[in-house]
Formats: sequence, C-alpha cells, structure tokens
Amino acid sequence: MTIAHRFDYERPDSLSGVVSALARYGGKARVLAGGTDLIGWVREDVLAPEALIDLKALDELNMLHCADGVLQIGALVTFNQLLESDAVRRDFPLVFEMAGRVASNGVRNRATMAGNICSAVPCNDSGPVLLVYEATLQIAGPNGTRDLSALEWFLGPRKTALQSDEVLTGITLKKPAGRHGGCWLKLGRYKGEDLAQASTAILMLENGETRIAFGSVAPVPLRAPAMEALLKGRTADAALIAQAQSMLPELIAPITDVRASREYRLHMVGVMLERGLPAAAERLNGNGPDYGTTLI
Amino acid sequence: MDDFSVVGTSPSRIDGLDKITGAAKYVDDLDFGPGLLYAEIVESPYAHALIKEIDTSEAEKMPGVVKTVTAKDFPLTFGLYMKDRYIFARDRVRFVGEQVAAVIARDAGSAKRAAKLVKVTYEPLTPVLDLAEALKPDAALVHPDLENYEHCPWFFPRPKTNIAHWRKTRRGDVEKGFAEADVILEDTYTVPRYAHCAIEPHVIAGYYDAAGRLTLWASSQSPYTQRNIIAEALSPMGLTHKDIRVITPYVGGGFGGKAGVSMEIFGAVLAMAVKGHPLKIRWSRAQEFYNTSQRQGVMAHVKMGVKKDGTITALEHTLHWDAGAYAEYGANVVNAAGLSATGPYRVPNVKIDSVCVYTNLSPTGAYRGFGYSEFHFGLESHITRIAKQIGMDPVEFRRKNAIAEGDTLAYGAKMNPGNMQEAINRCAKAIHWGRKETSEHPDRVIGKDISLFWKAPAMPPNASSAAFVKFNEDGSLNVMVSGMELGQGYMTVMAQIAAEVLTVPVDKIRVETPDTDRNAYEWQTVGSHVTWSCGNAVKNAALDAREKIITTVHRALGFPEESIYLENEQVKCQTQPEFSLPLCEFVINGIQTKDGTYRGGPIIGSGIFMPEFTSATGDPETSQGGHPNVHYTVGAAGIILEVDRKTGKMDVLRTVLAVDVGQAINPVLVEGQIVGGLLQGLATVMYEDIRYDANGKLLNPNFTDYKIPTALDIPQETIPIILETPQPDGPFGARGVGEHTMIPAASMIANAVEDALGIRIKTMPVIAEKIALANLGVEYDEVKGNTMGFCYAKKPDEYPFGILT
Amino acid sequence: MKTHTITFRLNGETCTLDVEANELLLDVLRDKVGVKSPKAGCERGDCGSCTILLEGKSVRSCLILAVEVDEQEITTVEGLSRDGLSPLQQAFLNHSSFQCGFCAPGMVLSVTELLGKNPHPAKEEIQEAIAGNLCRCTGYQPIIDAVLELTKK
Repeated sequence: MTIAHRFDYERPDSLSGVVSALARYGGKARVLAGGTDLIGWVREDVLAPEALIDLKALDELNMLHCADGVLQIGALVTFNQLLESDAVRRDFPLVFEMAGRVASNGVRNRATMAGNICSAVPCNDSGPVLLVYEATLQIAGPNGTRDLSALEWFLGPRKTALQSDEVLTGITLKKPAGRHGGCWLKLGRYKGEDLAQASTAILMLENGETRIAFGSVAPVPLRAPAMEALLKGRTADAALIAQAQSMLPELIAPITDVRASREYRLHMVGVMLERGLPAAAERLNGNGPDYGTTLI
Repeated sequence: MDDFSVVGTSPSRIDGLDKITGAAKYVDDLDFGPGLLYAEIVESPYAHALIKEIDTSEAEKMPGVVKTVTAKDFPLTFGLYMKDRYIFARDRVRFVGEQVAAVIARDAGSAKRAAKLVKVTYEPLTPVLDLAEALKPDAALVHPDLENYEHCPWFFPRPKTNIAHWRKTRRGDVEKGFAEADVILEDTYTVPRYAHCAIEPHVIAGYYDAAGRLTLWASSQSPYTQRNIIAEALSPMGLTHKDIRVITPYVGGGFGGKAGVSMEIFGAVLAMAVKGHPLKIRWSRAQEFYNTSQRQGVMAHVKMGVKKDGTITALEHTLHWDAGAYAEYGANVVNAAGLSATGPYRVPNVKIDSVCVYTNLSPTGAYRGFGYSEFHFGLESHITRIAKQIGMDPVEFRRKNAIAEGDTLAYGAKMNPGNMQEAINRCAKAIHWGRKETSEHPDRVIGKDISLFWKAPAMPPNASSAAFVKFNEDGSLNVMVSGMELGQGYMTVMAQIAAEVLTVPVDKIRVETPDTDRNAYEWQTVGSHVTWSCGNAVKNAALDAREKIITTVHRALGFPEESIYLENEQVKCQTQPEFSLPLCEFVINGIQTKDGTYRGGPIIGSGIFMPEFTSATGDPETSQGGHPNVHYTVGAAGIILEVDRKTGKMDVLRTVLAVDVGQAINPVLVEGQIVGGLLQGLATVMYEDIRYDANGKLLNPNFTDYKIPTALDIPQETIPIILETPQPDGPFGARGVGEHTMIPAASMIANAVEDALGIRIKTMPVIAEKIALANLGVEYDEVKGNTMGFCYAKKPDEYPFGILT
Repeated sequence: MKTHTITFRLNGETCTLDVEANELLLDVLRDKVGVKSPKAGCERGDCGSCTILLEGKSVRSCLILAVEVDEQEITTVEGLSRDGLSPLQQAFLNHSSFQCGFCAPGMVLSVTELLGKNPHPAKEEIQEAIAGNLCRCTGYQPIIDAVLELTKK
C-alpha cells in the first residue's frame, strides 16, 4: 500500500551527478540503493526525504573485485553477490558466513552491504564483521573522496560518520597476513530470517591475534580490546573462555525489549564465545565446521 | 473403509490450477474501475478514553477527499452473539487502534494524508489491562451499558461488571471426588493472546448503488452470517437482508479471523456514505494484528484428583479469559471451553467455570481451536505431571482415562464414536515412547511427549447448510454452496461427495464460490463443521438430483424406479442390461418418449442439513441438559524434541498426529490439515509472542517481531495418521478435522521440555529464551521487561481466581 | 507531483507507464498494469507474497519503487504459465502443495529462481530458497516434497 509522502526521484548517471544532487537538496535527500530499509521507512513515515537519489545507474558501484588479497565491494553489491562469490568465500569467510544469515534470499537479492551500514541500526549484521576485518570505507562528497576506517563509522543508533552531502561508494577489506579463521554467530528467535538480538564476529590470525566484535548489544557494533588482549597468543581453553565470558558485563550493554531480555542476550554472547572461539581456532588450522554451519 | 469410488481417494484439488497459475482472484484482485474510492481509518491512540470532540474540517479540505464519516453518521452496534461492538467508537474508545472516523478519498495516498489531519480530543480514562483489576467489584467498566445489549439466550453477561459471559458446568460432586482422591494437584497455567496471521489481510469492497442495493465483496469465512450481522446492524437505517448481497471469491487463509464481522462493516457503511461509488479498504498488516480479532488470552487454574491406580476422580477447571474490548464472538469461545474443559477424559465429578472478561485491548473472536488449544495447554501439562506424581506412565494414564463412545460428557450428553485408544497407540509407537534417546551434541537433550486432544464444533443449535446442484449440457455439474474455500480443500471435498452420488467425475464438477444472491445458505465455514454439515447438504442435493434423474427415466421409458441406477455418468437399469443413457444427453433437454414428446428438463437438486438433535438449553448454573455439541473429533499427537540446554533452542525431530475423522473424504487434504495445523500449533508455543506495552498498545504488529514459522522452522519429520471410525450422521461417515491438529502442540512442547530438561514451564509461549534462562535459574517473567504478553501483571500463582464465587 | 515515464518488459511484453516517484512497484503492477499475482501481504518485505523476478532474481516488489525498474525485465507467475504449466507448477499441482494459494505465486517464483541456479537442490537448499515466503496453511512440507520429487536425479 501507498506511500503517502511525496518526494522527488533522480537517477544520475555519474557519481558527480549524485554528489551534486545531494548538494542541491541541502541534506534533505537520501541515497537509494537496494531500498530494503529505506522504502519501508519512508512508507511508515519514519523518514520524509525530499528526494531519493538512485545510485543504480552507476555500474562502477556494482563491482565486486578481489585481487592481491584486497576485496573491493562497491556500494551496489548485494548480499547475494557476496554470498555467491568464490573469492569471498575462500578469502573472507566471515563475510560469506554473515551474508548467508542476512534476511532471506529475496531481500538479499536487493539489499547491499553499503546500505546495511548506512542504515546503521544497532542490530546490523555487517558492522561487527567489518570491524574485525578493519575495513576501509570509500566516501565521495563535494570536496572529493575520502577514506574512513570502519572503526570510526558507527556513531550511534542510525547515526554514522557520513555527512548528509556525502555518499558511501565502496568498502575495502584487506586479507590478514597468513592464515586466518573466524566465526560469525547471530542470535535469532528461530532459523528463519530475523534481526540479530546479539551477534559476535571472531577473527583469529596466525600471529596469535584474536579480534572480536559484538553487534546488537550496544548502540553501535564494537570491538572488545580488553578481551582481545586477554586472548592474544593464548589457546582458548575452557578456563580462558570462562575468563572472557566474565568480562562481558563490562564490555557490552544489551537492552531488554520485545525481542529479548538483557539477561538472555548477555548469556547468549557468552555461549557465542564458548562455541565460536574453539570453532575459529579449528578453522584457523584448516579444520572445524564448514563456514555457514549454525553453532547456536 | 466402505467401498466408495471417489470418497476416500485424493483427486487433484479443483482449485489447484487457479492457484498455481495466478488466476485465482482474491478480493483485492477484483477491479472496480477508475471511480473506486479508498478509505483510511482514524484510530484511537488510547486504550480507554472518552471522545470529547472530532474535528474533520481540515481533512475535508484536502484535495481528493470526498467525505469524512464518524459515529454520528452511523451510531450503531453490531455483533454475532451479542451486539456490543460499535461501527465507529461512540462517546468512548475501548482499545488502542479502535476506529473513530474514516476519511474517504479518490486515491489511497490522499486518504492517508487527510486522515492525519482529523483532530480528535480525548479525555483518557483508566484502562482495564489486568484481569484481576477487571474483576474487582469497583473496577472501571469497559461496557457500562452491558445490561442493554442484545445477546443470544445462552450467554450470561453480568451487568455492572466486566463479565461478558460466564459458563458454569457442574456434574457430580467435586468435593466428594477430591475426598476420594489419593493425590490432588493444582496449579495455574497462562496462555497469552495470539494472532491469526493469514497471509491475505482482511479486505472489503462495497457498492451501494443508486437503487439502494448494497453489494459487498469480502475476504470472508461467512458471507451469509456477515450479511445477517450487517443487516441487523443497519436495520435502523431501513436495510434488510434482501437489500444486501455478499460475494466472496477465494480467501487467502482464515483460521477463524475472517468469521463474523470486524472491519467488513466499514465496507458497508462507507459505501452507503458515498452512494453510487464503489469503495475498498484493505487492512494493513498492522491493522490485521490490532483491529480484527485476536485469540483470547486465558488464565487457567487446574485442580485434579486421582487415585493411586490412575483413575481421575475430580476436576476443577477455572478459566478467566481476556476477551478484549468486544466479546460479541469471543464469548462463544469461552462458552465452548466451559462445556468441554474436561478434555477427552472420563471425569465423574466436574466443576468448570469459564469467564469471559472485558479488557481495553483488541477485540477477540474465533481462532482455529476455539478455546480448546488454550485449555489443552494447561490440562495436558497437568495430566502428565499428575501421572508422574503417582508414578504412572503418562501414556498409560491417558489410556486409562481416555473418553470412549457412550461415555457421559460433562454436560450430560453421550460421547460419539472415535478411537482414542488406537490414536494413542499409533502415536506412542511412532515416537518409540518409553525409549530414552540421547543427542550426539554434548549440550543437547531429547524429550518426548504424547498429548491428547478433542474438539466439537461450537455452533448455535440451528446452524445449517444448504446446497444447490445443477447439471449442464455436457454432463458437468455446478455445486452452489456458501461454504468457503479457505485452503482446506472444501471445494474438492464437496465435489467428491457430489461425484460419489451422481457418478460424475470430480474434474467435471465446479463448486462455486459464495454469493448470497445465488448460492444456497451456509451458516459459517468455522468449527471444522462444513465437511460434515455442508457435506450432508451437498449429499442431499445430489440425492435429490439423482431422484429426479431416476423419476425422469421412469416417466419417459417406463423402467421401475428401484431398478434404475447411475454408473460412470450413465443411467443404467438392472432389468435392462443393454440399456445405458449418458447423463449429458438429457440433463438439460429431457428424454424423448415414443410419441416424440419429452419428459424431464433441467435436472437440479437441492438439499439442506440442520442438526435436529442439538439444543442450547443447558441449565445456566450447571450446563446439564440439552445437547450443545454435535460431536467430538478425537486424536493424539506425539513429539521427539531436541533441546539445547545452553541456548534453549528446540528442534522437533519428529512429530506425529493421529486423528479419527470418521471417513477421510480426501486423505491428502486431511494430511494437509495435520501438517499445516501442527506447525501452526507449534508456532504458538515455540515462537509467537504478542507484546503490549503498559498503555495497551501492541508493540509487535508485524512479522518482523511476531514470528510465524518459515520453511526453515519445520519439524524434521511430521507423520500424519488417519483413523476412521465412521460418524453415523456424517456424509459417508465423515467428521471434521480442520482445527484439531493445532490443539495438542503446546502441551507437547512443555511436556517434552520437562522430559528433556526437568524444567516445567507453565506460561506460554515456551520460547528458547525462557528455557535457557530457566536452566540458569532465572525467572523469565522477572527479566522480560514491562511489556505484557499476558493480561495479568503479577506472578500467575498470585492470581485471585477466588475473586469470583 | 512530477511523473516519470517508465518502460519495462513484463512477462515478455513491453509496458510504458507514467508514474509518480512514490508509487510502489507492487501497486503499479496490480492496479495500473492489472497483473494480480504478486500480493500485498505485509507491505514490509517480511512475507514474500509480493515476490516477482526482476532480471531473473526474486525480489520484494513492495520495497521497490516503480521508477526504479525502468528498462528492466520482470517475470510474474502469469508469464510462466503462458504456454501451459511449467514442470514446477505441475509438480506443485500433483503434490497438493498449496491450500489457500495466496503465497503460491511468490513461492513458484522463488523456486523457479533456485532451479535456474541449482537444478538438483538438497532439502535444506529448498528450505533456504523459500524461507522468505511465508505460508500459514501448509506447513511447507508438501511444497518441499514437490520440488524434491521434481528434481531428483
């Protein structure tokens, strides 16, 4: 049913056209890619932009490119494109594992990773994975282009470092040196599509470093440096895992809402560590459950 | 069973091709031309408030707006069993989302924009959001004028209270029964509200033509009953049944939610407000959740006494139902439960109190199971517990006490046929009951359960069905009935019944969707009763047509009537083995006799069915006397459930359900009800979780946060078992089955969780979070926050059932 | 409000229409073009009954503006049954896979997309492909069984 709000629509055929359109609307326009968040928000009167600026004429933003250990994800690349890419699965397995649990197939055919992090809802799936891969974001604006670390992107619920006259054009991930293994765990209410009530991304590197990021348990996705320091260079046996779990109340701040209680989210992040850390370690060594196996 | 040629087989659904090609039309698919108007409803933000003023002037100035409508234009009430529901809220609003005004415009966007400009001034009142508060002597009243409402004679509202109805069943002497017991167990179980979630939302289109005739196109389970309710509601405006026509095409799921009248009333009155213009309203998914009808929540207290040998001696079952703002349909759910809350067991001493309580939440009504799913949760949980308490196998306990044909029911009538023992045995075998199983995964444990179920259709004692059949020149048949194809396969089953009698193959039979001007009467497609009731009507109509065929042949050709029979679309005669006359040659044009004149003409048949043995004359204080339920369908179900201790997540490894349908007219369709109904039942206990806030606003009116199962959430294996002990008064022995398959699911999960983990959960839903927290010793209700799934704020054990004596 | 002229291919035929920016593709297909098989079940992308194939991929037409599909190719279930039932549709009929039928068009398209990529899917792959199409009636098993039977090697 109808969108009551009336707005303009433009589909520029160049990136500079997009940037100048945004400037023309003085911050009152929104960029449209897949639209799986944006259209619903406009229909439900959560947002009332004066215009939607459609990126989909920009073929250069639809590029998914992996070479020399660098994964370049254009702003128009959908979650299914990520899921179906052999290069992503082989070299950036956490992206593969996360993409497969986003929404459902029909949404993944449209929804983009770029859009996911621009929406920046606290439960967004891409955030924790981009944080452990320490991705870089490419942004275009009236003053040219700039790069920003994913670690500086998320500022609050639905708030990012993107200015209203800028557009996110791409996301770059660099493959860590040496071997790596990881685990993406997402708490949903059942096996079907769900927004995360809690999530954990674990990336273990050959050099003994373990990177951990949590999602949906704080206003923004976040890394856990204190826990990473605890785990660095050590085998995550039962005792160490228990120690890591005990740190959680200081590191994350889940809320109680209709989806889950604070207590269950906190408990489940503990279970994610308990099952995810050993799985990541096994995968680092070339064993362990296939990426995409549900552990919780 | 018996030797039938079509009954008992599974021909392809006759609506299958329509649905697989996209040809099937639902109400929203119908076109009404460029003049179609749209309406947007202005809704109350308060659960309980006086309406001081409604100012529609700004809205009326908006471009595209044709008219605005409020209660002052239609100050009328309506309802199925009680007229307590307002077309537009008049003087006061009673739930968040209740309709206060409507804006009619030339396009949906204009209606939506203009509706925001309607200014309503409210004076908030204390909302009644807690059952215990609602029943206090000095409670705020949801319906101060309750005593003035018309209602059917077998409802007993209590004026000046929030009690819409109270069904009391008393048999024997419970005190004596408890005294005889060796063990007594009593406890409280809670079940919150649930939403139907048919994938097609409610839709209504209306057209009040220049001659004053009102036509409605409704996504409906009950076109005739809707016509009746609307005619009664609008009779002060001069309309009668003759002036109203209701047409229903295919319906995208009903589950009880499209029975009776909820938003359909707007199609009627708003069409009248814009005479000469067609108008359509399609409900949003959110409105589906909060402004149609929901399944009632219930607070249940079960007290059962048993002997050491497992014999049940007494049962006291108290049910306090959260019926919401309007109980015009929901009060019958309370009634039905009040008559049958013994469950399918022999209980000599019974005390049931089933109380329908008004609250300032969404109205409630019919939902698949009609009160039975709700009370079975507590009862079947309780039965397993008490069996274990006396050291008896819970399945053996059920075998010992299960009701059988001829036993006396709680209200004094006798139980009909149904092989519960076979159902129990088949289910127990299918899940290897008695064999403990272990999971490969270190954190997972496996539990099992067998739960029983029964249900009778809950109908007035004179609910009836009728059917017309007519032949065509090619020997094909039209069956004109007003039962509704909701997906259950109704059309195919009616065709099979007609086919069995008239020997016309099913693929030459059309069953027409309802039209109250053209098709014969059907009370409602609810209660799992249309196979039985309308099936009988169709059978009678087919027999009538067959009678006419035989008479025609006799009159034309002189063969003795008793020797004439039908076979393979031909008329044959036992005394004339060479003779055969294809139906298509005479069913329109008659049979030519020797002198060149014709006998016969168009063959049409009509038939009705109304049970003449039911009555709702039970004593108001005891329910004894009368025969309020036509028959029960019984069965059993079993589950093998794997539970992850740490996460609480559950996986149904196997589920089985055996149901005695008397005669499966179409076994594949019966299996469809088993597989689909079981999943819907499992969904209510495992996933679905209604949440209201402290002001009575529904927080999750969408599929994002009210989770119905996807294809990933199904049991690993579902085993349907069909049993057939014929129903003597059913068409070819058939009994109903549509609702029953949901009923045992909730207790199966609760009992299997206890079997696996030793944790007993007495509040629905039994979700993973609840289990995981219980395993940690954390009480879920203490941490879930102040959103209520259930209409009582404190611990269930503190609920004052004794508040009503 | 400004109108945009869009041209797209629908089930092999070219459609040209004028639409406003805020018109949803689902509504334009149903109310302006008259193709009724995609349904409005939730209008938030949660139920999948609005599913169409856009450039061969299943998408939620309730979350797409009509203006976005200029020069693109759309397939609905009407396009699959033009010359008789597809083998998939026949398999669904044979298995009584649908009851009320409201989810059927979306399901058919989701499975059509799957079989185009994966001609012999495992049970779990079928479940994943249709996980975004909610069905309240069938319990999904008859839908899955039909696809398994059709595609068994």
